[in-house]
Amino acid sequence: MSSTSQKHKDFVAEPMGEKTVMALAGIGEVLGKRLEEKGFDKAYVVLGQFLVLKKDEELFRDWLKDTCGANVKQQGDCYGCLKEWCDAFL
Amino acid sequence: MPDGCISPECSSGVQWNHLLANSDQIPGHTWRSKDREEDPDHTEIPDPRTLTDDELKAALLHHGVKAGPIVGTTRAVYEKKLKKLLQPDESGKVNGAEKAVVYSDSEEEEEEEVEEEEQKADGEEEVEESVCTESEKQTAEQTDLAKQESSQAKLPYQNGSFPYLQCFMPSSRLHARPTSNRESKSKWNSRNAVKSSERSRSRCKEIPVGISRASSVDQHSGLGSGVPSGSQSVMSNGCSSFSSQAFSITQMVKEMESRSLISSSTDADRELNVSNVQEHRSQPIRLQIADRMKNQSVYYTPQDSPHKWGAQPPQEPMKDIIKEIFPETGTTPTGIHATRRRPIKGAAQRPVQYGYPATPVSPATLERREMERRRVPIRIQILVFLIMACILYFIYVNLEDICVVLLDSLNQGFDSEDGYSLQAETEDTQVVSGQD
Repeated sequence: MSSTSQKHKDFVAEPMGEKTVMALAGIGEVLGKRLEEKGFDKAYVVLGQFLVLKKDEELFRDWLKDTCGANVKQQGDCYGCLKEWCDAFL
Repeated sequence: MPDGCISPECSSGVQWNHLLANSDQIPGHTWRSKDREEDPDHTEIPDPRTLTDDELKAALLHHGVKAGPIVGTTRAVYEKKLKKLLQPDESGKVNGAEKAVVYSDSEEEEEEEVEEEEQKADGEEEVEESVCTESEKQTAEQTDLAKQESSQAKLPYQNGSFPYLQCFMPSSRLHARPTSNRESKSKWNSRNAVKSSERSRSRCKEIPVGISRASSVDQHSGLGSGVPSGSQSVMSNGCSSFSSQAFSITQMVKEMESRSLISSSTDADRELNVSNVQEHRSQPIRLQIADRMKNQSVYYTPQDSPHKWGAQPPQEPMKDIIKEIFPETGTTPTGIHATRRRPIKGAAQRPVQYGYPATPVSPATLERREMERRRVPIRIQILVFLIMACILYFIYVNLEDICVVLLDSLNQGFDSEDGYSLQAETEDTQVVSGQD
């Protein structure tokens, strides 16, 4: 069972507002830049994508992998982070 | 729009125009109209990229997937998904393997059963399955091959599942296999009782020693250098990374190699080793275990088995010897004994370089014991220190009174001599203390 990171906890603790994509768990500098190049410059844009994919884990993971090349762990972290945020605030 | 009409054969004319119009709107999509026109009959699976959004959604729904809105960013994902669905068998296994890889780090045993049985080799699958059925097959094989000396060593190589399953068949087995099985058991996953693990533990201790002994015997007998070198290397590996239960695969392989080398030189081994060691049997198969049995007597407190060795005639069947080796096992009608073995770490498709001690290793336990011995004195030392500190504090606080008491006692001790001087001193001290 993987424990949540500090980044995850920080993100889920409050509404994301205008946080950047790097604030997402699993998204670091490299992945964040790739996402920004694709047009996902803010965390809420990725949230939008997550919601458009109907919060489906597999689809979101595939999308994340195709868009920024995230590995399995990063995909999982990002998905879990967004999912928990949605459970709390959406 | 025709729902579910995916094949290009239906309403082809209308579709082509619509698809052409669509392709202009969606950038970045390769247009494969030429391919489609050339092979309309071959491709029953349409290229998801050529479908419209609605058609893609319909196709996904056809496969039981409720797709969300297909917009620019989601289209690629859904196309990929549809491709996966159109190739169900391969993609399903691939996903399972990926997920198994994700979770295999954290779990030990169960994941292999669920996801990887299909993908693993037959040997591993047989390990996962019930032991009884496999061991029955193995007994049939072994009884046939029991008399063949050279093939015994080869069997572990032939069948991947061979080494694992024979520990449960002590009665009709030969010695060489249980030993190898024990070693391999310690590596591969299976569910067995602690009893067999303890058995394997006790035996595994003897194996490297037995190898060393075998090497020395072989040297005396004048065998090839390959045997003692291999056995010595195994011994060194066993001693260095030795733990009662954990054996590395390299050790196991070397063990097998040494055993194969021993068994390969059949006649020469017989004569020389029998001459050197009286208790050894004529057959090299027994010889391997015989070395180890003798090692039991040499290096450990003699158990019943060594004595039994001398008593029994060399022509006794294998069953007695095996029963001696495993004195604890009762007899069952099928001769199958299934006991739980401790789970092994690191077996999830990862080679284990060295043993992972799941339980305290002997050097580690020694260290821990030493630490525990030291821990108690430390606390006692702290207590003593605190007590001394309190005493000193009281002395410091009550210094005056204590000095008076001490000097009075001294005065009583010294009646005439220095009595006046002490009294004077006491008076002085009292004056001084009074001033303070």
